[in-house]
Amino acid sequence: MTGTASKKPGALLVLILVQAFCAVFFLWDVMQEAGPLRVLALRDFHVAAEAVSALCLLAAVLFEIRYLMTLLRRKAHLERQISLAAGAFHDVILDHFERWNLTPAEQDVASFTIKGLSIAEIAALRGTAEGTVKSHLNGIYRKAGVAGRGALLSLLIDGLFQLPEGATTLIPLQKRA
Amino acid sequence: MKTFKTWDPVIRIFHWSLVGAFTANALILDDDGKAHQWVGYAVVALVLLRLLWGVIGPHTARFASFTPQVSEVFEQMSDMATRRKRAHLGHSPLGALMIFNLLAAMLVIGLSGYMMTTNMFFGVEWVEELHEVVVFWAEISIVAHVAAVVLESRRTGVNLPRAMVTGVKSVPDDLNLVK
Repeated sequence: MTGTASKKPGALLVLILVQAFCAVFFLWDVMQEAGPLRVLALRDFHVAAEAVSALCLLAAVLFEIRYLMTLLRRKAHLERQISLAAGAFHDVILDHFERWNLTPAEQDVASFTIKGLSIAEIAALRGTAEGTVKSHLNGIYRKAGVAGRGALLSLLIDGLFQLPEGATTLIPLQKRA
Repeated sequence: MKTFKTWDPVIRIFHWSLVGAFTANALILDDDGKAHQWVGYAVVALVLLRLLWGVIGPHTARFASFTPQVSEVFEQMSDMATRRKRAHLGHSPLGALMIFNLLAAMLVIGLSGYMMTTNMFFGVEWVEELHEVVVFWAEISIVAHVAAVVLESRRTGVNLPRAMVTGVKSVPDDLNLVK
């Protein structure tokens, strides 16, 4: 999940579309070969192997869609990244988001909060009511086990100083430099 | 709630006629019957009418107004990834891609279906296979289309199926609009 500049969501999207078409074609072919036998046709090795391959391809497509969404989320939160330090801090933040099991919406709200935006500003940016943002914030503070924004920030900054695990995030940063 | 007139009657009649005709041919009518052929011709006629309407029709019906840029596609996907809410008054970029996909699929299905009735291509295997595989692709696409409409309606709070019935999009007040 580190290193963003080289990731091309466009290529990934094309791959998803091509693989989706292939998966549909092979599923159709399996159904053709199965004919009136339906599920019983799976006793034939060739049909069974093709069915499994098609399902694997389908699983790969779903996985790629998930990955593309993660990539786009990261890009959206790192849009104005200028320095390596910002990138390192972002890695720490993402680590915490994952550990706390924040939903995508909560990650977005948390990201804006850390950048210092007010509840009203976040609501306007996300096109939601302020009450919705407040309930997201409550969820974030509850999952992080903190009382409010100040404590949340302290927790994240504290994470920057703990480098035994954080060292793994520094290696790709040095490569990038 | 703010309301916007979005879909003209031609678009709505086209949409629901196509739903009816495709469902009839894919699920109800006998593939080898005369009725299957006539409904198939009707689908092609509907799509050709839609293509014409996409050039001469009102703003939201025109292909020029909703053919998306690559960047717009990714903006919509980023909104989905971060659960941010923005409403498109016409077709959304991903929705537009699905429309092109379905229109093209309908034309290929119609053309290959017609070819099967001609002396030249009657009983030719690849024509038959093309017809069937594109029908299957269209069915999967329609399932994806319906799922996307439900998910996007839930994400943005704009009831998209109702807009395709009444022609009016009702947009919550705090929602941002694209463009």
